[in-house]
Amino acid sequence: MRSRAEMERSGFYQRLALPALVVITLFFLVPLLITLSSAFIDEGGSLSLAPIISVFSNPYIHRIMRFTLIQAAISTLASLVVALAGAYLLFAYSFRFKRLILALSAVPFVIPSILVVLGFVIFFGNNGFLNTALMNIFSLSEPPIRILYSYKAIILAHTFYNFPIIMNLVATYAMHLDRRLEAVSYTLGASKAKTFFSVTLPRLLPAIISASSLVFLFCFSSFAIILVLGGGPRYTTMEVEIYRQARMMGNTGAAAALSLFSIAVTSLLLVAYNRSQRRLSKSEAYREPLSLEKRPAGLVGRVLAVLYTIISLLFVLAPIISVIVRSVYSSSTGFTLKWYRQLLNLERATSHMGSALTALTNSLLIALAVSLLAVILGTGLAASIERRKKSRGALELLGMLSMTVSSVIIGLGYFLISSRLRGNASLSYTLVVLAHLVIALPFVLRVMLPEYRKIPLSYAHSAWTLGSTPGHAFFSVELPLLKSAMVSAAIFAFAISMGEFNATLTLSSSTIITLPIVMYRLIGSYNYQGACALGTILIAVSAVVFIATGTAKGTHHA
Amino acid sequence: MHNSGLACTLNASYDEFTLNAEFAIEEGELACIIGPSGCGKSTTLQLIAGLLPLTEGSITLHGNDLTSVPVHHRQIAMVFQEYALFPHMSVASNIAYPLKLRHLKKSERTKRVAELLTLVSLEGYEKRKSDELSGGEKQRIALARALASDPQLLLLDEPLSALDAKLRKHLREEIRRIHDETGITTLYVTHDQEEALSIADRIIVMRDGTVMQSGKAEEVYHAPNSLFVATFIGDGNTLPAHLFADGEEERSGVIFFRPEEATVQITVPGEHLPHLAFNEATVESCEFQGGRYRLHTRWQGYPIICYSERRPKGKSINLTVRKKDLLYFEDGNV
Repeated sequence: MRSRAEMERSGFYQRLALPALVVITLFFLVPLLITLSSAFIDEGGSLSLAPIISVFSNPYIHRIMRFTLIQAAISTLASLVVALAGAYLLFAYSFRFKRLILALSAVPFVIPSILVVLGFVIFFGNNGFLNTALMNIFSLSEPPIRILYSYKAIILAHTFYNFPIIMNLVATYAMHLDRRLEAVSYTLGASKAKTFFSVTLPRLLPAIISASSLVFLFCFSSFAIILVLGGGPRYTTMEVEIYRQARMMGNTGAAAALSLFSIAVTSLLLVAYNRSQRRLSKSEAYREPLSLEKRPAGLVGRVLAVLYTIISLLFVLAPIISVIVRSVYSSSTGFTLKWYRQLLNLERATSHMGSALTALTNSLLIALAVSLLAVILGTGLAASIERRKKSRGALELLGMLSMTVSSVIIGLGYFLISSRLRGNASLSYTLVVLAHLVIALPFVLRVMLPEYRKIPLSYAHSAWTLGSTPGHAFFSVELPLLKSAMVSAAIFAFAISMGEFNATLTLSSSTIITLPIVMYRLIGSYNYQGACALGTILIAVSAVVFIATGTAKGTHHA
Repeated sequence: MHNSGLACTLNASYDEFTLNAEFAIEEGELACIIGPSGCGKSTTLQLIAGLLPLTEGSITLHGNDLTSVPVHHRQIAMVFQEYALFPHMSVASNIAYPLKLRHLKKSERTKRVAELLTLVSLEGYEKRKSDELSGGEKQRIALARALASDPQLLLLDEPLSALDAKLRKHLREEIRRIHDETGITTLYVTHDQEEALSIADRIIVMRDGTVMQSGKAEEVYHAPNSLFVATFIGDGNTLPAHLFADGEEERSGVIFFRPEEATVQITVPGEHLPHLAFNEATVESCEFQGGRYRLHTRWQGYPIICYSERRPKGKSINLTVRKKDLLYFEDGNV
C-alpha cells in the first residue's frame, strides 16, 4: 500500500525492528557461524574439508543418517495412518465425542518432549500402568508389553506425539471444504468409504502433504525421545550424535559437520512446509463449513468411533495422567506426598531431588525473562515488518530463521562459546536465557504478525494528523489493541522455555539446573517418582498454555 | 492571487496514474474535490496531510510552507472514510486524544469534549464505545475529534459515502453548519456531485490526477470549461455540433445544454429569442419528481433529457433551447 512509504520515512517503525535484529544477529547467527566454522578447520587449525570428509565417509555415520531418515519416515507414515482414520471418523460421522477428539488433538502441541518421554516410560514401561493393568486383568506373571528402549518405542512415541498434529491440521482444513461434492458422490451410489477414498482424500492431499512434512521434520529432529527411549548406539539419530560428538567425545569438528547435514535437511523440510501451506490457502475456496445432514452413525460407525476415542484417550491422555498419578502413588509406597515434600525442600532429599527446588525456581525465572524479552522483541519486529514497504520478506525470514536450525545445534553454539569464556553461574544462565529467546522468537512472531496485520493503517494515520508523533501513536493507539495477543504470545514463550530440553542439555555444564534437565537426570538414575513430581508441575504449566491459547497453531519442539 | 488559505502544487507519480494537481482555496472556505473513482482525490488529501510523500511541489497553508513539515506538526486534521475511531477508547477519550497531546488539564478536557459533542449534536455520548455507535454517529465523533485538535485545515475523505441517502442529506447539512460555526478552512472529497453542489463554496473537479476546473458551484455548473466537467456535474444533453450548422462555418465538436434549459413546446412554437428547435422528439419515459416531470426523449437518435410541468399527452413533443444557453466544446465527442 502506498501509505506505507510515509510510514517507512518516519523511521520509527524501522527502528522498532532493531532490538530483535541485534539479538538475532549476535545471539543466533554469530554462535551458528562459530559452530559451523568448526567443520572447516582441521586438527592443525588450518582451513580444510577434512572434518567433513572424515565424518561423511564414515559408515557409522551413514548408518545413523539412514536410521534418522527411515525412523522419521516410518513414524510419519504411522502417524498418517492413525490420523487419517481419525479424520475419516470426524468427517463422515457425527457422534458425541467429536469435540473431545478435536480438543485432545491439540494436547501434544503443548507438551514438552521430556514429558512425553517420561509419560511413556511410566505408562508403557515394564512396571508401567499398562503392563500392571494387563497383568492384573489377565493374571499374567510377566509384563506382556516390552517395548521400551527399542525401535518400536521410538516409533510409538513419535506417533503418539505427532498423529494429533496431522489429524488436527487435516480435519480443520477438511471442515472448510465444500461438502456438496461428497453429497453428489453419495447420490451417485458410492458408499461412505468409497467416497472418502476417491473424492475426499485427493482433495485433502495438500493438507496431508503439508502436515506430513511438518511431522517428518519433528521426527527427524527428535532428541529427547531418542535419547531416553532409544537406549543405545543402535538407535541413534543425527541430533543425538551431534550431542554425543560435541559433549561426550569432544569432537567439535565432527559435530559441526553433522550439523551441516541437519540444517540442510531441516531447511528443505521447512521450505517444503511453507510452500505447501501457501498452496493450501490458495487452493479450494475457503467456505463457511457446510453442515451436511450427518447420518447418525450406524452400529459399525458407533463402534469404530468409540474404539477410536478410547485409543486416542489412551495414547494422548494416559501417559500424562500416569505421570501425575505416579508422582503420588506407587505399588510399593502407596499414596504419598513425599516427592513433593522433597521437591519443595520440606524434607531432606538425596542427589538430584535435592536440586529440584532450585531447578523449579531457575526454570520459572528463566521462563519469565524469556517470555518478557520475546514478546517485546517479537512485537517490535512484527510491527516493523508490517509497516514496511521494502524488505518485508527478508525481515520476516530473518525473524523465522532460528526455526531452520534444531535446538541441539543452537545449544551447541552456546556450548562452544561458553567453553571459551571463563564463566560463572550467571553467565551460564544468561546463555540459557538467550538460547531460549532465540528459539521462542519465531513463535512469538508467528502469533503477533497476523494480529498486527488486523490493525488498520488509518488508526495511526489518524493519530498523526491529530498531532501525535509516530512513536506515541504506536504506544497509545496500536499497542493497546495487541494486549491479548501479547499475553498469548508471552504464555507460549513461557511454556517453550519451561519445557526446553534439547538446547539446554547441549549447552549445559553441571552448574546449570533447570526443570527438564533435573527430570532427565532423575530418569537416568531411575528415580521415576521424583521425575514425575517435577513432571506434574510441567503438566500444570502446559495445561495453562493449553487453556489460554485454545488450539492448534502450536509450539512443538521435539 | 493573494491568498491566505491553502495553495498547493502537487506532483507525485504512482503505478496507477501521475498526480499533477494545482489549486488554491481561500481561508474559511468549504471546498469540495469531486471526480470519478481513481482520479486522485483521496491521494490529494493524503499528500496535503503529509501521509504520502510529494515527489515535487509545495503546500502553503495560511502563509506557512508545509512541504517538509512532518504530519504531526502540520495542524491539519483529517476525517477518514472509515472514521478510524480508536476502538479501545470511549467516545470522550477519542475526542480528548488531541487535547491530551496538548497537555490540557483534565477539567479543561472534559469541558472541551462536552462543547464539541454539543457542536455535533451528540450531547451525553461521552461514555459510549465505538462499537455502540451508528455510522452517522461515528462520523460525527470523528469530526469532533478532528476539531478538538484545533486545526488550521480540515480534510474530509468521503465522510458520508458509507451512509444511506437520507442520512447523507441530513449530515451534509450538519457538516455545513459546523463549518459555518467554526469557520475552519475545509477540504472535502466526495464522488457525489449533488453533495458537492449543495454545500460547497468552491468546487474542484479532478480527472486522472489533474484539476480540470476550480470555481464557485454556480460557475462550474453554468460555465464548465470542458465537456468532462459539463457532463460530470449535474445532468446535461450533448449533441454533435454539425447538426446545427446554420450557414456558418462547418463546426466539429459538440453542443451542450442543461435539461432545465430546454423548454417543452406544447403549443405551436413562438419565437422571441434565437433558439434551436428539436421537433418531434419521441418521449421514451416520463418520471414524476414531485414538482415536475423529467422526460427522457430521443431526437434523431440522440437522447435528450428535459423537464416539463405537465405530463405530455402524446408520444412526440417539440423542444426549444435558447442559443445563449448553449455551450460549445470543440474537442468534445458525444
